[in-house]
Amino acid sequence: MRMKFLFGAVAALAIGACVQTQQAADEPTENALEVEVYDGEFATIQQFVTPGGISVWLVEEPSIPILSLRMAWQVGTTSDPNEQIGLTNAMVYQMNEGAGDLDSQAFFKRMEELNMSFGCSAGREATFCNASMLTENADEAFDLITLAYAEPRFDEGPWERFVREQEVSLKTRETNARYLAGEALEEVLWPDHPFARDFTAESLEALSAEAAKAHKDKIMSRSGMLVTAVGAISPQDLAPLIDAAAAGLPETGIEIDIPQVTLAEPVSDPITVSLEQPQSLVTFTGPAMRQDDPDFYTAVVLNYTFGGGGFESRLMEDLRVARGLTYGIYSRVSSGEYAQTWGGSGSTNNDSVVEFIEGIKENMTLMVAEGMTEKELADAKSYLIGSYPLGFDSNAKIAGNMMGLRLDGLPVDFWDKRNAMVEAVTLEDVNRIAREYLKPENFTFIAVGQPQGLDG
Amino acid sequence: MTLKTWFIGGFASVLMLGGAALANTESQTEWVPSQFTLDNGMDVVVLPDHRAPVVTHMVWYKVGAADEVPGKSGIAHFFEHLMFKATDDIPDGEFDSIIQRRGGQLNAFTSWDYTAYFERVAKQHLPKMMELEAERMTDLIVEETPGGSFFTERDVVKEERRQVLESSPSRVLSEMVLGTFWEGHPYEITILGHMEEIEQLTPEDAVSFYGQHYSPENAILIVAGDVTPEEVRVLAEEHYGQIEPSGLVSGERKWRSVDQIDETQLITHSDPKVRQPVWYRYYNGTSLRRDRDFALALDVGLDVLGGGNTSLLYQSLVEDKKLAIDVGTFAWLSLHDEGPAAVYATPSPGVSLDDLEEAVMSELYRLIEEGFDEADVKRVRNSKAASAIYARDSQSGMANQFGRWLIIGGTVDQLLSYPDEVRAVTPERAMAAVREVFEQDRNYIEAHLLPEDGEQ
Repeated sequence: MRMKFLFGAVAALAIGACVQTQQAADEPTENALEVEVYDGEFATIQQFVTPGGISVWLVEEPSIPILSLRMAWQVGTTSDPNEQIGLTNAMVYQMNEGAGDLDSQAFFKRMEELNMSFGCSAGREATFCNASMLTENADEAFDLITLAYAEPRFDEGPWERFVREQEVSLKTRETNARYLAGEALEEVLWPDHPFARDFTAESLEALSAEAAKAHKDKIMSRSGMLVTAVGAISPQDLAPLIDAAAAGLPETGIEIDIPQVTLAEPVSDPITVSLEQPQSLVTFTGPAMRQDDPDFYTAVVLNYTFGGGGFESRLMEDLRVARGLTYGIYSRVSSGEYAQTWGGSGSTNNDSVVEFIEGIKENMTLMVAEGMTEKELADAKSYLIGSYPLGFDSNAKIAGNMMGLRLDGLPVDFWDKRNAMVEAVTLEDVNRIAREYLKPENFTFIAVGQPQGLDG
Repeated sequence: MTLKTWFIGGFASVLMLGGAALANTESQTEWVPSQFTLDNGMDVVVLPDHRAPVVTHMVWYKVGAADEVPGKSGIAHFFEHLMFKATDDIPDGEFDSIIQRRGGQLNAFTSWDYTAYFERVAKQHLPKMMELEAERMTDLIVEETPGGSFFTERDVVKEERRQVLESSPSRVLSEMVLGTFWEGHPYEITILGHMEEIEQLTPEDAVSFYGQHYSPENAILIVAGDVTPEEVRVLAEEHYGQIEPSGLVSGERKWRSVDQIDETQLITHSDPKVRQPVWYRYYNGTSLRRDRDFALALDVGLDVLGGGNTSLLYQSLVEDKKLAIDVGTFAWLSLHDEGPAAVYATPSPGVSLDDLEEAVMSELYRLIEEGFDEADVKRVRNSKAASAIYARDSQSGMANQFGRWLIIGGTVDQLLSYPDEVRAVTPERAMAAVREVFEQDRNYIEAHLLPEDGEQ
């Protein structure tokens, strides 16, 4: 938990002796990497900016000869032009489908020869590229990433395959209960927000490989690139590899203004979506608060007892254990940068949907009226604090968690402060938040299936 | 993921066995698992990983759906659920609470060959986890009161079956095919059991099942994480070493070699939820336990043929001919007894299943006529060998891998020698294994997943 600052040659000495010697021989002042070390309880994070200007957070982990690498940009699918919904997803699909002299097949085969992986994906608010590699051939693995960023091919073959796959997924989603529930929800809760825009056959038609390739330069810029890494590698060895990889990217990209989502008024009667299957998927969604809201951890603690804590939650205890109505029911607080919801879901037999929804509402009403008990509060806090280290037992998890911090703009010591925020939650806090947020009338219910006894 | 869940056998692709030793890295050779046996016959394996102060604690029992008596299908999996109920010292509902209050996560899963229970927790709570698992190994109470926990949990299992099986058309088809493939073998009935048999299970059935299978000599303890073998030995002797064998375990499993498919047949399943038809052919395969050399060679050969987008079938049918959206091969190699080996394909829009089948099978026979290239085989076997290094990044994954192999009678040495063994697979051996499976005169089960009207 101590914050340490090491500079220049001192850092190099402390971190990688052999590299340090090299640097001293060449250009000791210009090449010395400034590394800021944060020695936390969950990880020792080394922060540095590469000579090429890329900001990196690294955790050195020598015990396994692998490197987990995350790269991200804070622009996601919301950057799709209105007439070309799906463009960012089309772009990320192509990022490992050939680059430079290597066509798609050659690129994938080269990755297999190196026992590495590299691929990109996109969410609404960010675009990600993840790689993992053996440190013994990190140089060659980075050569391939360098090529992908600098000279991606966007060839006709992989493009046509992408289009065929999307045609199929446009069909299969029609019977996907989760997709149908999500669509129904967006339609009523934020119909006019960019997050409600949907990929369709028409928007697929409007996409092109050229447009996707051009879109890559708008998102994947050097100035917007965030990097986290965990593995058996020093800052001095990693920095030049990252600089080489990013060298082919444009200096700056676009920024997107996303308006905050304002939830529409909840719909009082459950919305039903017909799907022929023995069970119905039931979802419920209401408002929540931002992650930087002082009440955020109060909501997290409350949610554990209400529906987030598995068999320790009231929803599971009542609807699964006591009544046998479902295999599982969960709730969660989702506090994104632009949309914050408190929601949950579970599946139940078509003829018990009415009882199931009533049961969820009864639990909401009870929590609003009587709040949590001291014992529940203590149990929730002790789970949320005690289980936190479980998220830090692998390179991949730590690299992902660090990227989570960076994308959320959280400080490097956040993990060490988080538990105190959970601990500080009081019974008064949770009961106040329950009264404000868990009123049944805050929530819109959706049932996908053939629910009996619901109109609609 | 805190649902008590069930677990289906194993595809080759998730098999990625192997522990240590890509020999050229120091940190690899240092890593050694330990194994010992307590006086009462309970085996113990320790997999040290000191990166985080966390442990994964698992107890594996040598009982699964294959051990069920006729008419009692589903009891192995249902009993796994009951193991979370009361013991003589722990009131109903408290088992989860005790663990979650310590920040622990817990779950369990059932296969045909085994039932496993696990906790992930900060290392200081390991003794408590052992105390709890030891407690429910001997002192579980099966509630017999009408309307009590036995009966509500039986309803939960029925909802689980509806959710994970009956609501998924591809799962329904797969159950039909496997039931035919394993007809007359103990794997014939799905792990979840027949609905009408689950409904008839009684508390007496559960009590008798418990006595016959839950006993220390029928169990393997796996502890992975921040522990030393000596610490685990002392704790295991204290908590498990004192348990007397129940005296009711026969020690015999119903395993036997799987018969050859006696006639070629077509199984179809139509469902209004299906939007994309899929074509499959299931052949007789093998298992790593029954024939390790054959299984290793087949695993490599199937990947060259149809494992992912650099495979020969994928290049031909998806990339070149564009007749398929997807094509591939898989085999169930990690059960004790032989599982199927299969080839499947998803047609491009407008391609009939008959035309697709013709194209896939003629290409497959052309390829196995020609023989494999050394380069393709080398790439596949190196990827498999390297997967043993990547596997070490996941503490719980390692515990699972060791448990799953040891519980069916495999050895630690085999896991450790996996990278070397798989690297020794020659193109000739890989090809011979594939030919053995797909030889023209073999019987097979063809399966079609179809939209409701039966049209493609």
